[in-house]
Amino acid sequence: MHKSNWQAWLFLLPATLLFLIFFYRPLIENLYLSFFQWNMISPTMKFVGITNYHSIFVSAELLKIFFNTIFLVFILLILNFVLPYIYSYILGHLITKMQSFYRSALFLPSTISLAVASIIFLWFYNPIAGPLSIILNSIGLESPRWFKEDGLVIIAIATIIAWKSFGYNLIVMLAAMVAVPKELIEAAKLENASNWIIFKRIILPMTSPTALYVFTITVVFGLQYMLVPVNMITQGGPNQGSSNLVYIVYQYAFVFFQTGKSAAFAVLTMIFYVVILVAKYKFIDKKVHYEN
Amino acid sequence: MKISKLKNLWHLPLLLAILVQFWPLVFMISTSFKDMNQIFQASLNPLPLPPTLVNYETVLNNFPFFTFLNNTLFIAIFITVIKLVTSVLAAFAFVYYDFKYKEVIFNSMLLTFFIPFTVLIMPNYLLMSKLGLLNTPWGVILPQLVDGMGIFLMRQTMRGIPKALLEAAVLENASPLQVLYKVILPLIRPSATAISIFFFIDAWNEYFWPLLVLQDKGMYTLPLALQMFISAEGGSEWGIAMAVAMLTCLPPLILYFVSQRFILNTFMQSGVKG
Repeated sequence: MHKSNWQAWLFLLPATLLFLIFFYRPLIENLYLSFFQWNMISPTMKFVGITNYHSIFVSAELLKIFFNTIFLVFILLILNFVLPYIYSYILGHLITKMQSFYRSALFLPSTISLAVASIIFLWFYNPIAGPLSIILNSIGLESPRWFKEDGLVIIAIATIIAWKSFGYNLIVMLAAMVAVPKELIEAAKLENASNWIIFKRIILPMTSPTALYVFTITVVFGLQYMLVPVNMITQGGPNQGSSNLVYIVYQYAFVFFQTGKSAAFAVLTMIFYVVILVAKYKFIDKKVHYEN
Repeated sequence: MKISKLKNLWHLPLLLAILVQFWPLVFMISTSFKDMNQIFQASLNPLPLPPTLVNYETVLNNFPFFTFLNNTLFIAIFITVIKLVTSVLAAFAFVYYDFKYKEVIFNSMLLTFFIPFTVLIMPNYLLMSKLGLLNTPWGVILPQLVDGMGIFLMRQTMRGIPKALLEAAVLENASPLQVLYKVILPLIRPSATAISIFFFIDAWNEYFWPLLVLQDKGMYTLPLALQMFISAEGGSEWGIAMAVAMLTCLPPLILYFVSQRFILNTFMQSGVKG
């Protein structure tokens, strides 16, 4: 290790500047803007104190938006956290052949643009001629209008995000699964432990740090990825039925031109994320052994 | 005997997952080779019979496809190269030097990976507007030249280099830049390539930020251009939309096919210690 502060700083300078300008400055600017009323175009801004926060908390909208967010996160946790967890166990410990084939194949959708995924699923869910409606018709059911009905719209959006994220989450989880020593599992099997017991007593505790990482990115990335299908397909509709804490930040800024409310929502979203991250780090730092 | 049969049963859920994951892609490909009649009359048939190139011809003849392609390539390559430079330089500082607040600085860089994107868009949009960069590729590129996860992965890779190798170079009076260029870079080339490909695919696929910055259709990237093919009612030009979708995901898919082993190994590191 070399001790030369100024040299180290020279190497860090480009990244540091970019992070400060494009990641940390916006956080402070949001806090500042959230106390003003402005429409992004007018040359003057009006200081309004906490009015923006107040109007968010008294509106009926917040409850709906919050519920939509929780519902979306809930579906994503099942499809992109629980499912990859189980699949990584199967892939890492229950089969012996074709592992690298499954790994490569299941990761593949993660390389595809969400804009492409949105187009494909828009056709898939098309209520008149789409593949899903034909399957439903053939068993005597009528296809709902997936992107036009409350609740259903969130499920449909979630499947698009899940399709993209599943593979990435799976292989991250798989890395932790294969790090669990095979001998440990063999020993348990010799004592006639069932797969479930092995999963619960050995796998679960040994993979929990990575599981928490996957849990976090499922929430954080899921809400990020959501922007593309929601904007391309529903624009938050029907009647804000597919909007959520993250999308509404965009809506208030670029659709309703109320920067103050957008910034206030951004601050609230940030607090929501900080709570998740702090919970994660508190838990993980106790369990993870860092090298060096 | 009994055990091996039971083991085979576990392939079923995996095959089912592959079916679910590949089905949308099969549909995209087959629909892009179908004409309008086939699309509506045989939408469940994965085989376009007979296959037609009419959708691709329409895309190439009636739309400025190569303009979209050039715009996307320029933005994606520029972002990839600069991100690679900023990540390598920062990772080098973390591996090679010992300095005050090292952990704090590293963590605050890694943490940016988790900052939700919508929280950043309005302030960054206002900044790009002040700089007069709206509706230019630079407005798209500038906020994306650094990557917390890139620095993390690059640092993980550099940590794998034996300290003795670096010390030997220093004994021969190599400057830090020479150590980086002559010792470290040749050793981390496979991982650096994988990380660059991941940068490129990410930048290529980008939809939301370019949507805010770029207004003229002549400036559009391919993912943005896709929007033009879906109308409010759900669209009717499905064959053309799927042909554009197909052309949009071809470069990332090709890159993935040629480098999947590196990419998967690099990604598998990303969650282990973070």
